[in-house]
Amino acid sequence: MERTAPGAFGLHVRSVISVLVIVAAWEAAARLQLAPPLFLPPFSTVVLQLWDSTRDGTLPMDLAISLGRAFGGLFIATLIGVLAGIAMARNQLVNWLLDPFVALGFPSPKIAFLPVFIVWFGIYSLSKILLVAFACIFPIIIGTFSAARGINRSLIWSGYSMGASRLVMLSRIILPACCPRIFSAMRVALPVALITTFTAEMVAGGGGMGATLMYSQRFFESPVVFAYIVVMLAIGLLLDTAMVRIQRYIPATRT
Amino acid sequence: MPAKLPFRLMNWLWQMVPLLIFVVLWHLLSNSGLIDKAFLPEPREVFAALVDLLRGPQVVENLAITLFRSFTGLLLGAVAGVWIGLLMARSEVFRAYVTPIVGGTYSLPKSALIPLFILWFGIGSVTAICAVFLACLLPMIVNTYHGVNTTPKVLVWSAEAMGYSQRQMLTRIFLPHALPDIMTGLRIALGFSFVLAISSEMIASTNGIGKLIFMYGESGAYSYMFAAIACIVVAAFISDRIMLWLTHIWLIWHESAVSTETA
Repeated sequence: MERTAPGAFGLHVRSVISVLVIVAAWEAAARLQLAPPLFLPPFSTVVLQLWDSTRDGTLPMDLAISLGRAFGGLFIATLIGVLAGIAMARNQLVNWLLDPFVALGFPSPKIAFLPVFIVWFGIYSLSKILLVAFACIFPIIIGTFSAARGINRSLIWSGYSMGASRLVMLSRIILPACCPRIFSAMRVALPVALITTFTAEMVAGGGGMGATLMYSQRFFESPVVFAYIVVMLAIGLLLDTAMVRIQRYIPATRT
Repeated sequence: MPAKLPFRLMNWLWQMVPLLIFVVLWHLLSNSGLIDKAFLPEPREVFAALVDLLRGPQVVENLAITLFRSFTGLLLGAVAGVWIGLLMARSEVFRAYVTPIVGGTYSLPKSALIPLFILWFGIGSVTAICAVFLACLLPMIVNTYHGVNTTPKVLVWSAEAMGYSQRQMLTRIFLPHALPDIMTGLRIALGFSFVLAISSEMIASTNGIGKLIFMYGESGAYSYMFAAIACIVVAAFISDRIMLWLTHIWLIWHESAVSTETA
């Protein structure tokens, strides 16, 4: 076994090795002054900076603000998007009314609307939450719409024949049947929410991870820039892993 | 076919009616006095601004710069992504080395790297293209990998039994089988490419449509800002439609072939 292809353990070791090699190469390149410390501070310096920023409270504060905005926007998008998606799937008139907007809005780069949101809602949290909601709503509408269109007909007919009211139909049959696809759409929308939040903060300021990142970059505080990027990487990874776990262990979200 | 054309035209016009309703509502809202007219210019003014912009070189030039950046990044990302995805699917060792890097960076908001690229490459096209490249690379890798990896063993065995060379395996078995997934990845990457190009222009740039929109916003020329946004929305929509059309043409042999009408 050892002589042929590397086993699962061997592959695992290689995965760890490749991460270690990157970190070591980074540290070595910085220590050997291959790049000026301004461009590439050593990994150890970044870790120390991470510790400092966490201790003086700036990093946790920024993270809380950014995550609050991202999840606030995602929440609004899910609420409205699910309703709109189901309405479009169940009602021909609503579908006709909303379809051109979804078709036009889905491929458009939502970040281009940022100046509009700033003009209307200011540069603080409100404009960011609404922009995130605007960016996330299209994948959720489309996911919910195709889920609601794909519901087994006999489920719906059975519901009607048992005399279910519209509300019961919605809460007992349509929503549960769409649940897994809605959750998948939310998994797609979550990184969109993070990207939109961070970018909006970078462009417009107003606090949060992105604003501090841009601020540090302008003052050439490279360790802070790297520390914040590492945190963003970790947050993206952590949230996506959490979503996968939820999908695996909660039956209602499994496709 | 020609006999069906008027029907299709009618159908298309009928689909456009909600947009008209939207414009009418917008007109009524901006004239109602509920919202300051400065913040919500009338559709008429925006249309005038749009005509004005399209006449001048400003929007066309900046849009061309943005499209150049996003398409260059997309192309580089697509080529590199297909190669890496292919290697990952074919070599277990390569996959073991690369998986943690791909997995770790997949969910990283790529716009976070823009300040870093500004630090390294300064302000300009290189920064934008690098950001677009990275954002496009990951969906391309993941989708190509999935497409190649799900190639039925029977196909591979048959091809090997027929004495296909490595090169033939690649061009006749793996790539065609992965093509639907590659096209899916390409469509996702196309969306990212616009977002990243515009974001990097808004964050730091001297030109490009993102910068232009932001400039109009800051100087209070709101009708021009809306017109420029309309331009980028239309450009993104057309690009997406072209992508769908290409997918339809290239995958006409495939069971998942979708007509451009329904997609």
